[in-house]
Amino acid sequence: MALLKVENLVTDFKTDQGIVHAVRDVSFEVNPGEVLGIVGESGSGKSQTMFSIMGLLADNALPVQGKITFDGADISPVSFKTKKEYNKAMQAIRGNTMAMIFQDPMTFLNPVLKIETQLIEPIMNHKKVSHKQAYDMAIDLMKKVGIPSPEKRIKQYPFEFSGGMRQRIVIAIALACQPKLVIADEPTTALDVTIQAQVLELIQSLKENSDSAIIMITHDLGVVAKLCDRVAIMYGGKLCEIGTDNQIFYDPIHPYTKGLLGCITNPDADDDAPLEPIPGTPPDLLNPPVGCPYLARCESGMAICSKQFPPVSTIDATHQCACWLLHKEGVK
Amino acid sequence: MSEVKPILSIQNLRTWFDVTKGLFAPKQIVKAVDDVSFDVYPNETFGLVGESGCGKSTLGRTIVKLYEPHDGKIIFDGQDISKLKGDALKQYRKDMQMIFQDPYASLNPRMTVGEIIKEPMKIHTIYKTDAEMEKRVHELLDIVSLKPDHIRRYPAEFSGGQRQRIGIARALAVNPKFIVCDEPISALDVSIQAQVINLLDDIKKRLGISYIFIAHDLGMVKHISDRIGVMYLGHLVEMGPSDEVYHRPLHPYTQALLSAIPIPDPKTAKLKQRIVLEGEIPTPINPPKGCPFASRCPRATERCKVENPKPVTLGSRTVSCFIYEK
Repeated sequence: MALLKVENLVTDFKTDQGIVHAVRDVSFEVNPGEVLGIVGESGSGKSQTMFSIMGLLADNALPVQGKITFDGADISPVSFKTKKEYNKAMQAIRGNTMAMIFQDPMTFLNPVLKIETQLIEPIMNHKKVSHKQAYDMAIDLMKKVGIPSPEKRIKQYPFEFSGGMRQRIVIAIALACQPKLVIADEPTTALDVTIQAQVLELIQSLKENSDSAIIMITHDLGVVAKLCDRVAIMYGGKLCEIGTDNQIFYDPIHPYTKGLLGCITNPDADDDAPLEPIPGTPPDLLNPPVGCPYLARCESGMAICSKQFPPVSTIDATHQCACWLLHKEGVK
Repeated sequence: MSEVKPILSIQNLRTWFDVTKGLFAPKQIVKAVDDVSFDVYPNETFGLVGESGCGKSTLGRTIVKLYEPHDGKIIFDGQDISKLKGDALKQYRKDMQMIFQDPYASLNPRMTVGEIIKEPMKIHTIYKTDAEMEKRVHELLDIVSLKPDHIRRYPAEFSGGQRQRIGIARALAVNPKFIVCDEPISALDVSIQAQVINLLDDIKKRLGISYIFIAHDLGMVKHISDRIGVMYLGHLVEMGPSDEVYHRPLHPYTQALLSAIPIPDPKTAKLKQRIVLEGEIPTPINPPKGCPFASRCPRATERCKVENPKPVTLGSRTVSCFIYEK
């Protein structure tokens, strides 16, 4: 059974310019122990999808539509009578069975609290343990994420740590209650290449040594190739293709996925294939196009693409794609 | 290449910043760029890579004279730029342009695109009449694939990639011979990065200018550069043709850096063995004697801790490491 099931998720934001349709009818599943990568450009809705699941949207968000099932329980905001009830239910889940790793460790960590306080807090909140037990668990966590001399470091403040070490602390906090699902939002984007490699290896070893599932939000296809079992591609608030890592990288179907792969270089390749950029820019989600959001930049655009968003086609059990090229209506 | 004269020659350049706090405190010097030498030839792209804090941006800014070097020479077109004054200096400012990392911060939000691109032309009085200037602005917008009616719009109306195109048009406005590109694609989305890279490459071929391309995205640097310099803690540790540096890195730091790049190919990425580098870059404030990489190098010896290796030339490549000394 899927650990997390998202069905027809819709998230809108009210702004001065009008309603921004950030997430538009997104459905996917995450299985226990797997790493799902969510790839998309800025404004594609990848982060807002995750914030909608966690119940961490900004105040100007309109009520989230759609059904979210996590660990057998219905946690869709629409299924709760009041916002208070929803928040109470989510507080018991967040940091406990569902944890999050954010992009910028310095804004996640509280600069005026010692690491000790910040690590022990989630453990004390969610587990029935004494302060001493929580402290011992915190030391174990710091060892697990590879922080040398944890007994000394736990007494320090975030500013005394380097960027890579701070991100390790954030990962330790996320792992404090052995979560079933970790949502990592661009966890290595703010880090240097060699430090990024260290953190990716840490995440990899955590994946191998625990049964937590991970959702990895990123725009770096290199990170996806290294860590992920399955990949979902988002564009213009819609999910356009989802499949295993090999299906997405070696047999992409959606023109956007193909385009994205043409935009990156493989520094290991002997000959430099010319870059094939996607022309144009992503759509404005204030007034998203009625049909396929990628139409304006798509080489294979057809008449029907502007009228209706393509229904999702199943290529095989693990590979789905939403494109009119896969339908017989898509003949010009 | 040896018979062609370099357009830009950096000789033992040092850019240091005094960060001493207080009157009687011990002197604290950030050696952001320390004894760096390299040449860039006409119509060549020289890539500078390294992690944050390695001094690559400071080096770029010193070359365009945004910072004064502490020591060393920058020879551009046969002239030492530190001695330039008056008209000669103004000419240098015209020949040497820069494209900045953040297209949101580097354009004045209260000027229209036309005004932004015309400003350097006016400062250098390149055109006599407004009509000529207007014509040139239209040409430049065409080169960077923007529409003629964009001329009256403000930067806020454009996306990141379009703003970077405006920045490129402004740099080209004075017909430079050389452009320092300081992380021009880091702030852009993947699909837009490829557009800007292809545009820069195309401009280089059409106008015959040279670039220094500074970036931390090693894949893109390899793609656009003819030669590459790898920086670590203010030092240039390795230099050579980009393909050779990528396929056969010589310096232990280059080897570790390249092994850490995530490869966008699941089969090789999941098998790839990384050279484990312990720790992080030391602070460039009063750096220790010896090789800058000695504290993290898997092959460091006692000698590395006390003596800084001199650059060794091996064919078309240069590497600063005792391993390659004869």
